[in-house]
Amino acid sequence: MSFVSVEFLAFTAICTAGYYLIPKRCQWVWLLIFSYIYYLAQGPQYIFFILFATVVTYLGGLWAENGSKAAVPVTLLLDFGMLAAVKYTNFMIGNLNGLFGTEIREMKLLLPLGISFYTFQATGYLLDVHWKRIRAERNPFRFALFLSFFPQILQGPIGRYSRLADSLYAEREFDMDRILRGMYRIVWGFFKKIVIADNAALYVNTIFDQYATLRGYGLLGVLMYSAQLYGDFSGGIDVVCGIAEMLGITLDENFRQPFFAVSITDFWHRWHITLGTWMKDYLFYPISLSGWMGRFGKWCKKHMGKSVGRTMPICAANVIVFLVVGVWHGPAWHNIAYGLYNGVIIGVSGLLAKNYRDIRKRLGIGKDSRWFFIFQILRTFALVNISWYFDRAGSVGQALMMMRDSILRFSFSINVVDAGACWSGSPAVTFAAIIFGCAVLFLHSIMEERGTDVGEVLRQKPLPVRFAVLLLLVLSLVLIGSEPLSQGGFIYANF
Amino acid sequence: MDELIEILEDIQPDADYETCTTLIDDGILDSFAILSIVSELEDAYDIRITPAEIIPENFNSAKALYEMVQRLQG
Repeated sequence: MSFVSVEFLAFTAICTAGYYLIPKRCQWVWLLIFSYIYYLAQGPQYIFFILFATVVTYLGGLWAENGSKAAVPVTLLLDFGMLAAVKYTNFMIGNLNGLFGTEIREMKLLLPLGISFYTFQATGYLLDVHWKRIRAERNPFRFALFLSFFPQILQGPIGRYSRLADSLYAEREFDMDRILRGMYRIVWGFFKKIVIADNAALYVNTIFDQYATLRGYGLLGVLMYSAQLYGDFSGGIDVVCGIAEMLGITLDENFRQPFFAVSITDFWHRWHITLGTWMKDYLFYPISLSGWMGRFGKWCKKHMGKSVGRTMPICAANVIVFLVVGVWHGPAWHNIAYGLYNGVIIGVSGLLAKNYRDIRKRLGIGKDSRWFFIFQILRTFALVNISWYFDRAGSVGQALMMMRDSILRFSFSINVVDAGACWSGSPAVTFAAIIFGCAVLFLHSIMEERGTDVGEVLRQKPLPVRFAVLLLLVLSLVLIGSEPLSQGGFIYANF
Repeated sequence: MDELIEILEDIQPDADYETCTTLIDDGILDSFAILSIVSELEDAYDIRITPAEIIPENFNSAKALYEMVQRLQG
């Protein structure tokens, strides 16, 4: 049941209506039932995996709270062991065969939808209990809802128990304002997904899948991939947050105008925020503060001086974290290259931060220089787009070849896509729809970046204005939207 | 306290550590700065700071950091 389907909208409507009609003390149970129905509808075979993660982490949490030293490693081993088994077994087999010439047959494995998201959420819960930031949940069914809340389970945002739990289990009165806020956000999410992402996907798939013949179109392909990925992922998150809002549940935000970032570090503070903060709290800090990293730090301070020595372990931890981010994106070397690329840039930037400050002082570039600010945004956008080559290409070789061809054989044509693949029969119309969608998104982003809550501004407008905007968005979906091409409806649903 | 503020100013010079109580909430200290501070505090005060201590409440102000150091010194 994809988000972009009539079935899903009907499912959400029934869930929301029932939620406010039943006795309030049963509301969280209602959500649990609908969450499991939703998950079962994705494929009954997937249910084993989420039940396993739920039972293991629930018991692990209680065990950790009792002060057991074995609780965390054993629970993590089981949770991540399951994730690794389904996601990385064939990658390992392929590499073993390649390295040693063996002929081990790849296995037919299921990749349960949303497995990374609920595994990460479970891990965060376990470590928070271990670090005594929260108390372990006593009720297994309440814990099951925390891991399975249905709009969130497929592609996040990755929730924290300390912020999400009370919101999930609270008793709520019907509130029309909240319902409307949620509906606006859902429509806005569908606009980003259907008008921008799914139209851009036509260009992305054509250029990246036929890169050997369509040489030189890489720049167009990667810019379209920027639009597709942002529209798809942030649009999906808008739908998730909109549904949660209708149910009175506030989820953590996952995006904050990422393409206005002034550095790669800043980009990761704005893009997939809940993954970034998860990695920071549960991987980056533990690695950086581990005994072996402490010894490495002391060695660095002794041999490289105080400042560099202090920064080196942090850079090394960063590279390790982004290596994991790369592996998380998929079991392939081009994903690992994507992670390392980000990690190395952030690590080197950290090492050279003082040098950058000195150079800026010498050049007389003040903190408030508008031109330098715009230069930083454009530089970051270029660096991010280079990373997308690794992310979207099928191999590191393909990514490098497309980068080279983007410069040495630069070509541009909006007719590069097959007219038959376009819903309108015309690549020009599809291209115009993408530009229109991106222009609307750009204006929206500028307003949000300047601190304007666009949704709130709209809500304060007279009814006819609100209706006209909503109508325009809905009509855009119908008139210039495209069919979803990605499996499961959304790209990140396959993680 | 003066020694601690000196450490902070050496790592991230652009902040008023005497008065600011939102070093984390306002993004003045990022994860690089936090870990640099941890590294210096561990050396200067002979303490061990674990991941469990890396919460905004401990890093939002110089005073909070000082209290954490005193607590860890036991």
